[in-house]
Order: sequence, then C-alpha cells, then structure tokens
Amino acid sequence: MRIFQKTNFNFIQHRKIAYGISIILLFTGIVSLVVKGLNYGIDFRGGSEVVIRFEKNADVAQIRSVLDAAGVSGTLKQYGMDRSFLFSTVFQGDTGQLKALVTNALNERIKGNRHEIVRIDAVGPSIASDLKWSAIKALVASLLAILLYVGIRFEIKFAAAGVIAIFHDILTVLGLFSILGGLFPFMPLEMDQSIIAAFLTIAGYSITDTVVVYDRIRERIRGQKQSEYARIFNESMNQTLSRTIITSGTVLLSVLVLFIFAGPAIRGFAFAVFAGILIGTYSSIFVAAPLVYDWLHLTKSSVRLRGSKAS
Amino acid sequence: MKNKRFNLLLIVVVTVVAVWSLLPTWRDYSLSKQLESYASEQDSLKYALSHREVIEDSRKKSLKLGLDLKGGMHLVMEVDQVDLFEQKAWNKDAKFTTIMQSVRANASKSDERVLDLLVAEFKKENIRMSRYFYDIRNSDQEIVGKLDKESGDALNRAKEIIRNRIDQYGVAEPVITTQGSRKIIIELPGVSDENRVRNLLKGTAKLEFRLLREPEMMVRTLDRINNVLVQSGSPFKEVPVQDSLSTKSTAVPVTNSGKEPTNPKSSNPLYDLIGVSQNGTAYTTERSRELVLSLLRRSDVQALLPMDTELLLSAKPDMGKSGEKLYSIYLVKKAPELTGGVITEAKATFGSQGVQPEVLMAMNNEGTSKWARITGANIGKRIAIVLDGVVYSAPVVQSKIPNGNSVINGIESLEEAKDLEIVLKAGALPAPVRITEERSVGPSLGADYIRAGIQSLGWAFLAVSAFMLIYYKKAGIAADIALVLNILIVLSVLAGFNASLSLPGIAGIVLTIGMAVDANVLIYERIREELAEGKGVLSAVTQGYDRAFSSILDSHVTTLSAAFLLYTYGIGPIQGFAVTLMIGTSASLFTAIVVTKEIFHLLLSKNLMSDKSFG
Repeated sequence: MRIFQKTNFNFIQHRKIAYGISIILLFTGIVSLVVKGLNYGIDFRGGSEVVIRFEKNADVAQIRSVLDAAGVSGTLKQYGMDRSFLFSTVFQGDTGQLKALVTNALNERIKGNRHEIVRIDAVGPSIASDLKWSAIKALVASLLAILLYVGIRFEIKFAAAGVIAIFHDILTVLGLFSILGGLFPFMPLEMDQSIIAAFLTIAGYSITDTVVVYDRIRERIRGQKQSEYARIFNESMNQTLSRTIITSGTVLLSVLVLFIFAGPAIRGFAFAVFAGILIGTYSSIFVAAPLVYDWLHLTKSSVRLRGSKAS
Repeated sequence: MKNKRFNLLLIVVVTVVAVWSLLPTWRDYSLSKQLESYASEQDSLKYALSHREVIEDSRKKSLKLGLDLKGGMHLVMEVDQVDLFEQKAWNKDAKFTTIMQSVRANASKSDERVLDLLVAEFKKENIRMSRYFYDIRNSDQEIVGKLDKESGDALNRAKEIIRNRIDQYGVAEPVITTQGSRKIIIELPGVSDENRVRNLLKGTAKLEFRLLREPEMMVRTLDRINNVLVQSGSPFKEVPVQDSLSTKSTAVPVTNSGKEPTNPKSSNPLYDLIGVSQNGTAYTTERSRELVLSLLRRSDVQALLPMDTELLLSAKPDMGKSGEKLYSIYLVKKAPELTGGVITEAKATFGSQGVQPEVLMAMNNEGTSKWARITGANIGKRIAIVLDGVVYSAPVVQSKIPNGNSVINGIESLEEAKDLEIVLKAGALPAPVRITEERSVGPSLGADYIRAGIQSLGWAFLAVSAFMLIYYKKAGIAADIALVLNILIVLSVLAGFNASLSLPGIAGIVLTIGMAVDANVLIYERIREELAEGKGVLSAVTQGYDRAFSSILDSHVTTLSAAFLLYTYGIGPIQGFAVTLMIGTSASLFTAIVVTKEIFHLLLSKNLMSDKSFG
C-alpha cells in the first residue's frame, strides 16, 4: 500500500500561496486573541472550581439560580457529557466552606436529584502567577534549545526557519483556542498547564517533521549549485511527503483517541495537540523549507552544512 | 555474530525484567478482586490475614496510582512570613504595628518577597531595622540576612511538624516536600475527611496557660468599651445571615457583608452583642461571634483594655437556657505563664466520669517546677488553657500541682481530642501557615479517569497497530511487537521507581504509542526506497536502518528535551505527563531500532523475508 509515493508538486513555485494562507490564519488568530481573548483556567487565573455531577439530567439555569441564592457568586457551565457542571468562583482559602455551601444549597433546593462533588480545586493568586511564569520559562527555554540543536545539526538558517514555523504553529493554535473557546460544552478550551504541555509537545513534534525534510535536503544538496536549489528542495519535499504525512497520521490517530475517550479534563489538551500537529505538518512543508529557500535565494548564499552522514 | 547475540540477549533481558516488575501490579489487582468476591466480610478478612505478606508485598511493588486516579488531596501551604517576622521583633510599639500592618497589606497585593517589602517599608519610614530586630549594633544588611535564615529554618521546621502530624493521623504514602523558600507541598492520597485534615494542618497549635483577671475588672472594661462605642456612635450592624440556606454562620467570604453605617444609635451597643451574667461572666451568641471578634480586633477597643490583658472567646459554645449556643468571653493576662514548649506528652482519653473526652498532658522538668510554682501561687484563681487564641477551659486552681500534669477539657468529640493530641505532640508551628492551593479529587472521579485511561490506551494501541499491519504488512508485525515492549517498559520503569501514574501520565503513554511507530515508519520508508532502487532485501534493510538513524535521533532528542523542560518547569500532574513521555521516547529508541532489527535479522536468516514483506 502506498500513498503520496510518486508525487511531483512544485512546492517552491507555489510557496507564495502557502505564505498567504499562513498569514490569513495567523491574522485571524491574532485578531481573535486581541478582541475576544482566551479562557483562562484556574491554573493561571487563580480561583476555585467545583465539579458537580448529578444523578439525573439537571437544568443549568436552575442550578445557577440556586447557587446565586445561596450567596455564592461565580459562573456555572456544563462540563463534559455526563451530567456534570463546572462552577468557578474567586479563590477560597477554605474550600470546606465552599463545598458545604454548595452541598447544602443543592440538597435543599434540588430534591430528587442527588449530586456529588467530584472535584474541588483552589489556586491562590501567588501560585497562579508562579505557574504563569514557569510556563513562559518552559516555552522560551524549549525554543532556545531547539534553535541551538538544529543550528548545530544543520545551519542557522535552517534552525531559524524551523523555530519560525513553531511560532507559527503555536500562535495558530492559540488563535483557534480563542475563536472556539467556550463554544462547545464538551470541549472546554481553557488555557491551563496542560495546554502549555501541549505546546511543548507540538514544538518537539513540529521540529521533528521539519528535520525529516531538512535531512533529505541536506543529503541531496551537497556540492550543488545555487541554480539547482529550487529543484533539489522540491524533490526532497516530494520524496519525504509520504513519510511526513504518515508519521503525523499515527500521532494524530492516537491523539484522536485521547480526544474521544479521555474525558473533559484531557480534551482541551488533546484538541491542542491535534490541531498543533496538523498545522505543524503543514508548516514543515509549506513554511519552514520554503523560508530556508527564500533566505538562501535572497541572500544569494549557499548552504554550509555541518556534519552527518555523507551518501 | 557476537554483536547479534548481544542484542538478542539484551532484548530478552529487558522483556523479562519489564514483565517481572509488573507482576506485583497484576497480583495486587487479582488479589483485590479475590477479596471483593467473598460474600461475607469475615471470609475476606480471613483471606486477607492468611495471605497478608503477599498482599502487602504486591501492594508495595505495584504501580502507584496518582492522586487524580485514586482520589485524595493536594495542598500547597505557605508560612505566614509577616507573622514570623513580627514574632522575631522585640520592643514592639505602635509604630512597629503600623509598619507591619502596611507590610501585610502590601504582601497580599504583590508577589514580592515579604522580606523585601519589610526592608522597603522601614526605609520609607526612615527607621533602622535594628530598633526592633536583634541587636542595636546590627546593620540592616545583617538583619536581613538573619531574618532570611530564620524564614528558611521556619519553613523546614514547619515541614517537619506537618509531616509529624500527618504521620500520626495516618495517611498511606503521603508526600511532603518544600519548594523554593516559601512553599510546602503536601499530597495525601485516599483522604476522605478533608475538613479534618485541613484543620489538622492549619492549626498553629500554640498552647498557652494564662491567668484570668478578676471578674470585676472584666465588667469594668466592658463598660468602658460600651461607653466609648456609644460616644463614637460606631457603625454597628449585625451581619445579616445570608440566607436560611447557609447552615454555617456568617462567614460567607464571597459576598461582602461588611459593616454599613446603620441604624439608630443603640444605647448599649456593646451589650446588644455581649451579655453579662450575675457572677461576672460574659458571653456572646453564635450569631454575633464574628462581629464581636472583629470588634475586639479594633485598635481603639484594644487601647481601652487594661495593661497586659486581652479579651478571648471560648473555643466551644455552651448551651444557653433557651437552647441557643453561647460563647464565653474571658479577660486574660496577655503574657502567658507557661507555653506549649514544655509539654512532653499528650494523650486523648475519656475523662474521669468517662463521658467527656479530654487531653492529658505531661511536662518536662522545667515546666513541672514552673507549673508547681504557678499553681501554688494562684490557688482559687482561674487559669485559662488557650490554644491558638481561643480558650478551651478556665478551671479554678484547686491546689498546687507538683507533678506537671494538666488537662484540656471542653472538647466535643474523641476525634477532636485525638487531633489535639496529634498537634500537641508534633509541636507548635513556628508561624501560621496558609493554604494557597488545594485540589481534591473524589474517588469516583478517580475510577472514571482510570476507565478513560484504559480505554484510550486500548483504542490507541489497536488503531495504530492495525494501521501498521495494513500499511506495512509483515514489517508491521515487527513494529507492533516493538510497540508492546515499549509500553511494557514504560509501565515497568514507573513501577520500578515507585513513581505514580496520573491521567496526564496515561496521555503521555498514548502519545508515545503514536510517536514510537514513527521511528519504524521512517526506517520502513527508507527500506522501501532502497528496494525500489533494486537493492537486495538484506542490503536494503541495513541501508534503511543506517540512513534513517539520524532523523530518528533528531526527532527523539527534540521530543526528549521538550519533555524534560516540561518536567523541570511544570508542577503536579503535568510532570507525570513529561515523565511518561520521556521514558516512552527513550524506550522507543531502543525498541524501534534494536528490537525490530533483530526481528528482521532473525527472519532474514530463516529466509522468511522478501521484498514484499514491506508492503
């Protein structure tokens, strides 16, 4: 069985189209981020969250009014698909009180439908800012590490283009989170630690894909003339196409399983990784390699590669 | 030849070790099923006792489940440094109090180190720190250094005390660590009574024995306060009980129930809240308790108290005549006669009548002699036993107590007595600790997560291995075998290191399933290329592995470094994800390259492979 085996797309010639698509995607994402912003989970926002599960189907509006009457202000949303609701409020140092309040209110007003408090989380403001800070440090560190590693294995232009591609991927996924955030109850797209984990995974994976293409380019480009670059790039990209798509495909398959089976706690993460890998594959072929080509083309320089296997 | 043998041996050894280290998990699982299957409790208890060693052993070595899979509490606590520094100061005057108050206000708003805020505040007031801290000759720098060390020490002491309390309470496999200079991280799997644990951890356990002042003095003081209140027409309104729904008293933190300037000047604003009885004892109702407490905290009220005294409330209410709950109010000396440091032993028991629970305490030599002196000098007077700022009881001293024994009564339940015993034995916390983060997961959610995790693993494995089979035919089988080994290795490493598996950890394994086969894909595609160029099967295979190696290495290194960074900077379950991803990725380097290669060599030597084997 073969797919994409003997393709001959002219990636380099049509690269402007790809750039255009990317810019539109990025632009839409950024606009949404500025206008609508992101839904922050309590990891970064601080606050308390209670997940309540009912035995039978319950009405959101009713629960909301019961809790309001009890004097607890906050937002109530449906959470996942099994009659669960997520209630967020400001930070309570003593979650026991919050729990007692919610339980008593619900027991009194909603008879005949037993509920259970499955989870309570409370994150104070100092912890929240710690987490935010750690997240940023992790992302920056990983981008630097990748820059360094690819720079050593290949060349600075390759490394820079790869990192730009990763930026592109992460920004687009952020944009998606902003656009789709809060639209679907089974998919609460909140920014929390797990999404940062998703970004790091995407970064690691996106560069992998990119490196596969680079590897092939490196193999074919030794000693070739500048005028041949377009052809070599195209050939390399075509040859690695099936490889890139299949490797991404297997990971997408496993992440899809996570998305379906792992419950609302993991679903945001699964969505981020799924979208990220999809876009990452696209960017490896249509953004990273063409950017290297353009850079070489515009500066009229030739590729100076470092070590690794000669043919 | 030798090389081949070595590889084969390595694979066999790894497989055996992996399976062997996972056996306890399997055994633990089947043993629990066995216990559950017994119809009566007695039978299952008998079984448990007879197989005790096996059960314990398997439990110890089996794969640990994280908090989110088992249920339990995760807490992050911070030492209240403002309080700590306050304690370290001598010569505390009004100026000092105001400075500390503004430091406290700033600390709650900003993230800066409390020590830095303290220095800044002192600088603002243009006062040398040595006026209140340590020696007059110390420079500000030196004092900062000493205070810093104090706070580090306090953190460690707090951690030890908390560990002590938790050990006594009895939690299986608790995890208590410090992070940075301020935080204590506590994980308590399987804890069901969250409130009890929370109180256990938060209580400072500061025990003090304080002399009561004469009742006349208290009555006079209360009068004075009342007069001042009448004069200043102080805004005073009873906090409205939020709703008939809240069973707890007025403490609903989310809605602001502040004092609003209110009604008509009451003629006796104080006595609206506090009642005084014939024999000079004072009390307040449960409803007014919060209000009275905040009233007593006001500085203008505190200024009215006689020197070295304090008004404290009782810990537990008594039943009033009409059935309402009444909290007694005591006027005690501020300076304690004796503190908890002298207590060597505490025991929770039922009292002499066998009805009321109480805690018996014994003291060290120094305490014993002091206590003898104090009780001898104050026969007929009352000494209040104060724990964390509330009075548990204030018995009359009948006679001199020479043996250093004392008792805390006024306790409601044996459970509470036991908790008091725990905190008294473990010692008083150097400063109050606050809970800054708390996550509790109920056990039913844990079961859900486990099910979700297993389903994800199962389906992911099925989907990916089916694909490899369809796309790569015979070679796909080799990849699938490698995949199974990969998963086994991850789980066994986790079990071996006693690391716990969380839901993100399972997500990491699922991700590994997808990524592990990528190495195989790269190799097989390469092999196909070589075959297409007409090379023989053996040389195609060898070339394929050689050429694909650098891409595989690159991809694994980048994924590993991303996972490693995540592990370093992440907190909590995310680290579990990072760990499984790291183990899975490293293992896949082994399984994808060594294992599949060996399988192919084996098949090639038996002439079972052709160029159709790669699909």
